[in-house]
Amino acid sequence: MATLEFRTALREAMTEEMERDDDIFLIGEEVAEYDGAYKVSKGMLDHFGSDRVIDSPISELGFAGLGIGAAMNGLRPIVEFMTFNFSFVAFDQVINNAPNMRYMSGGQFDVPIVFRGPNGAAGQLGATHSNSTEALYSNIPGLKVVSPSVPDDGKGLLKTAIRDDDPVVFLESELMYGMQREVSEESDYTIPIGSARVAREGDDVTIVAHSKSYHIAMDAAETLEEQGYEAEVIDPRTIKPLDIETIVESVVKTNRLVVIDESTPFTSVASEITHQVQDRAFDYLDAPILRVTAPDTPAPYAPNLMDEYMPGADETVDKCLRVLYAE
Amino acid sequence: MAIPIEMPKLSDTMEEGVLSAWLVDEGEEVSAGDVLAQVETDKATMDLEAFDEGVLLKQVIGEGDAVPIGELIAVIGEAGEDISDLVDDAGGDGAAAAEPEPDPDAEEASAEPAPEPEVEPEPEPSGDGQLSERTPEPVPAETDAEGRRIKASPLARRIAQEHDLELAQVDGSGPEGRIVRRDVEAHIEAQEAAPAPEPTPEPEPTPESEPTPQPEPSVPEAPSYAMPDEEAAYESENISQMRKTIARRLAESKYSAPHYYLTVDIDVERAIEVREDLNELAEEQGRAKISFNDFITKACALSLHDHPYVNAAYRPDEGEIHKHNRVHIGIAVAIDEGLITPVIRDADRKGLSELARETRALAERARDRDLEPEEFEGATFTTSNLGMFGIEEFTAIINPPNSAILAIGEIRDTPVVEDGEVVPGKRMKVTLSCDHRVVDGAKGAHFLDTVKSYLEEPMNLLL
Repeated sequence: MATLEFRTALREAMTEEMERDDDIFLIGEEVAEYDGAYKVSKGMLDHFGSDRVIDSPISELGFAGLGIGAAMNGLRPIVEFMTFNFSFVAFDQVINNAPNMRYMSGGQFDVPIVFRGPNGAAGQLGATHSNSTEALYSNIPGLKVVSPSVPDDGKGLLKTAIRDDDPVVFLESELMYGMQREVSEESDYTIPIGSARVAREGDDVTIVAHSKSYHIAMDAAETLEEQGYEAEVIDPRTIKPLDIETIVESVVKTNRLVVIDESTPFTSVASEITHQVQDRAFDYLDAPILRVTAPDTPAPYAPNLMDEYMPGADETVDKCLRVLYAE
Repeated sequence: MAIPIEMPKLSDTMEEGVLSAWLVDEGEEVSAGDVLAQVETDKATMDLEAFDEGVLLKQVIGEGDAVPIGELIAVIGEAGEDISDLVDDAGGDGAAAAEPEPDPDAEEASAEPAPEPEVEPEPEPSGDGQLSERTPEPVPAETDAEGRRIKASPLARRIAQEHDLELAQVDGSGPEGRIVRRDVEAHIEAQEAAPAPEPTPEPEPTPESEPTPQPEPSVPEAPSYAMPDEEAAYESENISQMRKTIARRLAESKYSAPHYYLTVDIDVERAIEVREDLNELAEEQGRAKISFNDFITKACALSLHDHPYVNAAYRPDEGEIHKHNRVHIGIAVAIDEGLITPVIRDADRKGLSELARETRALAERARDRDLEPEEFEGATFTTSNLGMFGIEEFTAIINPPNSAILAIGEIRDTPVVEDGEVVPGKRMKVTLSCDHRVVDGAKGAHFLDTVKSYLEEPMNLLL
């Protein structure tokens, strides 16, 4: 195991895949000369040359569409959005063309493309730069949505995403790029899409959380342990397809579930998990399923409000105690 | 192509039917017109005929099961056909689960030993076992002593169900008294730990609640339904379809139709004489003997002609009162299982002989529960006679949607005053129950007066 930053793990994934397959290229704003806005692609221009690491103009709709066309013609593009807030400018390409092309062409065209970049709030960025997009994209049939929480998962899942013959939305986080964790040194390390990770085992309450929220869940689990409760923490890692079996298995054991999702709550990933769990494990629930989410408002700018806005460990502990009837 | 057989609507008022007997076994060939089963409706036991030919693949419900109209009861198709999608969809009330369901794939391989019925693994009482399929029986919404719905988590309900525990006995510790897992588990633990207690006398059990054999000592304030000597307390009997219908329709009548009652004492001396004469003739000519009740039927039928509101139906849903143009008289007939009212159609147009013959035939078939629906449906007025039991007078409940019913008492010898002298007389009391929504007091009284004059001047009945 090597200790790597999240950005380095992602870079290793792209580099290894591009070395393996000449059809893969990286395109996005500032990915080449500037080494990437968050230095994820640092050094890749030198390594692969400007044919395969391409600075795009500030034109998300254009370069996302270019990527889809390239994918339909046999290449395997990685399209970096500087942040997923800007993917909205390319919405038609991402949600309409990429996921529907295989279906609309009767299977004549694959679209093996990865849209990647940071997603979600990252401090004082204001409402328009703090969007969480996982619920939006996972609502679209034909898109896979991956959202890792630790560098090791980031590497293994990004490699799998690049190899996938269908479009994958790969959601990272500005706040986690500098996070250092152990990453497998196994050669050709991949993690299948659609498999959750049980990060911590416990019998008393299940907490499901992805991306940054996963770390909140782990903090909350420690606090709960001090109070005598063992939380089981599950990181779905992939939002779609969702590994609901692992979650249901855990709820059958603990009979309680709290879902953390930093998106706004209405029609969120947390809503979907809640629905699926009540559908499959109704008779095993001893308490209503509770969620920890952002409120249903635009993200604020003021730091004190932003602290209130984002899900936190304290709120998670409170909700766990509520479903444990321990208040 | 498998054909689902559903519970048919066999009478106007039928809401559910009891499958009283299967006449065709699973695997037997049937052709159109074959009688598959007998179905007990609210009125009669009727044959369920096949409309298609094929093999009876599945009896979805068992004998004695009651299911609502439209519910799947059987499947006909080709031998060996996979009907799992049909049968699995059937929202049976657990009746289907009572019999082991043969694996459709295993049916062809009949050389193999009989397929094991799929036994659901014993669920872990704590709820943290493997995920098993949801228990098929719906958990009834239990209520507490005040009739409020008991709040309990799904898991707590499930554990309680597995332990045959009534949630009413468990105190809930969750928000708003919700019963949660720990409450049920604590209760079960206490129950198991407690030594078998002396049964304490308890209030009368409500008949619909399951008697719990073990009184619960840990929560003495909770109502317990145990009886010290419960076996001797009653014999239970399933409520038949007919009884359910009587209960439903008459209760509905009594609380929606404002009843009032008019009684009149009728001099039947001349009617008795006329009847004797007529029956002498009938005997000579080999015709059916005319009963006194036939006189009353005829008198009512003719009177209804002149009193359309008594021959009417109150139809609030349609905003109308239906005054029937024809006169169909229902005659209540007591049978072993309850009562039924065969209908004499156009009774006003039939002679006494014909009325006598028809009434007798219908009553006989009613006792054999052999009436067709059209023979007991569509009455516009009803009579009920308890005179043969020595009842002097009584009040009857209107047979909806009629607006009146005539209750007939016995013919009795009584002293009467005639021309200032007390002489022996023959009198009969009849009581008309009227629905005040249609028949006001004066209208009812006028009708009754007409009936009385027909019976007192019986030659008019012959015209």
